[in-house]
Amino acid sequence: MRFFASFREAAGRSSVEFDGEKSLAALLDEITERFGERMAAELYRPGTRELRPTVNMLLNGVPLRLPEDLCVRLRDGDTLAIFPPVSGG
Amino acid sequence: MERYARQTMLKGFGMEAQRRLQRARVVVVGLGGLGSSASIYLTAAGAGNLLLVDPDVVQLSDLNRQILYCEGDVGRPKAKSAAESLSRLNPSVGLRGLAFALTEENAEDIVGGADVAVDALDSYAARYILNEACVRLGVPMVHGAVEGFDGQVTTVIPGRGPCLRCILPGASDIRREVPVLGPTPGLIGCIQAMEAIKVITGIGKPLVGRMLIFSGKEMRFEEIEVKRNPGCPVCGRGG
Repeated sequence: MRFFASFREAAGRSSVEFDGEKSLAALLDEITERFGERMAAELYRPGTRELRPTVNMLLNGVPLRLPEDLCVRLRDGDTLAIFPPVSGG
Repeated sequence: MERYARQTMLKGFGMEAQRRLQRARVVVVGLGGLGSSASIYLTAAGAGNLLLVDPDVVQLSDLNRQILYCEGDVGRPKAKSAAESLSRLNPSVGLRGLAFALTEENAEDIVGGADVAVDALDSYAARYILNEACVRLGVPMVHGAVEGFDGQVTTVIPGRGPCLRCILPGASDIRREVPVLGPTPGLIGCIQAMEAIKVITGIGKPLVGRMLIFSGKEMRFEEIEVKRNPGCPVCGRGG
């Protein structure tokens, strides 16, 4: 999993590797537990487990539709990139 | 041509690239922080014809980052002030200002015939309209966006790589006023100008299929590879 911008700040690192097959939802639970409140604040609306609209993820270069793709299973060799797209001009 | 001597002397650039630039038609959609920076460098480089699109008037709070304008422009339409400012910089560039917003109804008229479009907009609603028009007409588009100390850039070349809807299928506009430090759109707009010049001249490798992410606090540039989505509603099989 590769973290960019504010997600990297929250994780304190630019990437982390995971073993075994798991769903995206399970992976997000794992990184929230591992990286704590700051990661939770980047991912979810306050006090909920509802993904913020600023969360953007690409699986092997292809964007995921959220929250529909939370059930997608991640396998060995997959790369998930997570970044918050900005919108100002 | 003395004006452009320092770029025409670049190996691989020369008079041929300069001629391509001078024949080029560029549409800059949005004349805020990004559009200011991008249009200044495109004008300085001698891009032949710029169409400048923005419905807004200059506000005092724009001046921390929208370097096309000065205090005397507050209250004036950006499209008009921008054309005047750029004309002073380089009178040989054809400049036309459109003081209205890009919409679904006028997007193809605005983008039609352009060699490249610069997405200097401040909402994804408008960006998706521009993206769709560019994909339909086969016009390359350089997307940029900023917030705070952070920014992103990617170049869409229809048929060659992902479009903006492939990369960001469901981006939304959270708030009207985005906090931003001046150098952020200055930098990202500059990169957009460089990307537009590369598309026009054929020099270098544009950011096709690559999203460049800039994090200013750490002063870091990173790249995410992005693939075309075959199911994209805009550029995919069903688009």
